[in-house]
Amino acid sequence: MAAAEPLRPLILICDDEPPLRELQKAALGSGYRYVEAANTSEAEAQLAVEPPALIVLDVMLPGKSGLEFLRELRESGHSRSIPVVVVSAWQSATDQQAATDAGADAFLGKPFDPDAFARVVSDLVSA
Amino acid sequence: MPSHAWSAISFRRSVVTRVVAVTALGAAAIALTLSLFYLATARLRAANLADRRATTASVAALTLHDRVGDLSAALDAVTRNPTPRTLARWHGAARSWQGPARDLVRASVPAGGERGVATLLQAQIRSYISDYGELLIKIARVSRATARSSDATTEGATRVRAILTSTDALARRTAEDAVTRSAAAERLSNEATASGIAALVLTPILLVLLGIWLARTIARPLQQGVAASTALAAGDFTVRLDDSRRDEFGRLASAFNEMTTSLAAAREELFNRAEQLAEAERRQSELTSIVSHEVRTPLSSIIGFTRLLLQRDLPADQRRQYLEIVDAQSTRLAELVTDFLDVRLIQSGNFNLSHEMLDLHALIAEQAELAGAAAPDHEIVLALDDEPLVVSGDQLRMTQVLANLLNNAVKYSPAKSTVTVTSGVDPETATICIDDEGIGIPPEHRPRIFEPFYRGAAPAVGIAGTGLGLAVSQQIVQAHGGTLTFEPRQRGTRFRIRLPRANGA
Repeated sequence: MAAAEPLRPLILICDDEPPLRELQKAALGSGYRYVEAANTSEAEAQLAVEPPALIVLDVMLPGKSGLEFLRELRESGHSRSIPVVVVSAWQSATDQQAATDAGADAFLGKPFDPDAFARVVSDLVSA
Repeated sequence: MPSHAWSAISFRRSVVTRVVAVTALGAAAIALTLSLFYLATARLRAANLADRRATTASVAALTLHDRVGDLSAALDAVTRNPTPRTLARWHGAARSWQGPARDLVRASVPAGGERGVATLLQAQIRSYISDYGELLIKIARVSRATARSSDATTEGATRVRAILTSTDALARRTAEDAVTRSAAAERLSNEATASGIAALVLTPILLVLLGIWLARTIARPLQQGVAASTALAAGDFTVRLDDSRRDEFGRLASAFNEMTTSLAAAREELFNRAEQLAEAERRQSELTSIVSHEVRTPLSSIIGFTRLLLQRDLPADQRRQYLEIVDAQSTRLAELVTDFLDVRLIQSGNFNLSHEMLDLHALIAEQAELAGAAAPDHEIVLALDDEPLVVSGDQLRMTQVLANLLNNAVKYSPAKSTVTVTSGVDPETATICIDDEGIGIPPEHRPRIFEPFYRGAAPAVGIAGTGLGLAVSQQIVQAHGGTLTFEPRQRGTRFRIRLPRANGA
């Protein structure tokens, strides 16, 4: 088979801190394609361009919060089933519960372990 | 109220004095009414007595008239025929006048002359009996004819007539007296009844008036006090009593009002204190959130990239890229710690400055170059004199201020815009203005931008920072005796530093 190699899954990374976006990309490695968003409106614009295989979402974002964005995503029609990993500096039990209630598939506190993060993402993408 | 004032003033204004005075007045009025009534009754009793006596005297005079008649008739019978029967009749008559005569003397008024007349009458009768009657009887025993001669009988008749005239006159006078006395007694009786009724009517009216007055004086202010205290206890701090009275109640009311005012003030202060505490608490928790978030963000990068470097076998150029990120984030963390410590230092008041001669123009040029190198998309224009601008101050701190203001100007304005620094002097003050062409500060955020950790709209538009820079800068400038202010420009913001000029510069 000489066909082109299968398209790698697209990951949407939504975080207002460029170094953290860089870290997440580095942690996940070259097995994915990436689009980045510094806030939720950029993320919404990206959703319209190409629905990703997974979204990595920060909570504390300028403008609309990550959880609000997630709630709206879960109520929308076509992209409601996209897996979402919430990554947040706020990681108390209440914060985790809020993320789960909003519809997160996984929750990771900052700072996170790159390998553990990569495992969570790969499990959700291949599921 | 000082104790010496408790004398002349309070005598008239004291409730106690007034109550005692009014009660005494009421008692005096009642006593007066009652004594008038008693006096009227006493006079009535005297009048009744006089009436009775006058009647007795009148009756006695009439009886005496009859007895004298009896006496004259008995004497006539004896002289006609002196038998034991007639003699006995004479002796009886000579005794029986004495009772009425005594009554007449006793009942007649001594002052009116009646008693004198009565006594005289008694003597006349006695003389008629002993000097005429007994003598005539002795004569009759010897010679009835002599005794019954016209000489003898004429004298007797004269004496009896005189006695009867006196008795009748006395009887008439005492009868008249009795009528007068009786009329007087009736008049006095009416008067006594009238004053009795007056006392009966006036006493309750006086008592009721006294009660009303007492109620007005004491009960009403007490009720008002009770109502006001109840309202106060229920939390109404606006309640006030009428303190226009000049007695104890007026003083009580003004003391109550003062107490209420100070209670309200104290409560207000407590509320304010509680509000300040709540505000401080809120800021403290906000601070904790901000610090933990601000610290975690660079820490996440540092830890994540470090683990990545340790866990994975990476090409050299990627290793270098990651190490540069770790370096930048560590620096950011260090800056955050420094800023935070500065804020704590300022808040604790241990902010020591060194004082050396500084050329502000040189410092500005240095910091503008650094800021320009860090922000190649912005143009930083310096419009400064060649002359040095010398002030006395702490070089490190002043550098910190200039760096912060220049970095802010770059951070809050779009790429390709210009940041302009100008300076001016007058004999006392050096002024530096840093103008940007940025997004400006929305009016609602202007009052708070110098507060520690206050970032206004910056997070919403994605501008990083701790919210500490302006707070620290302002504190530093103020510690130098200067001011740091800002004003909106047509486009962007101007920050203005004013510092006192060094002596002799």
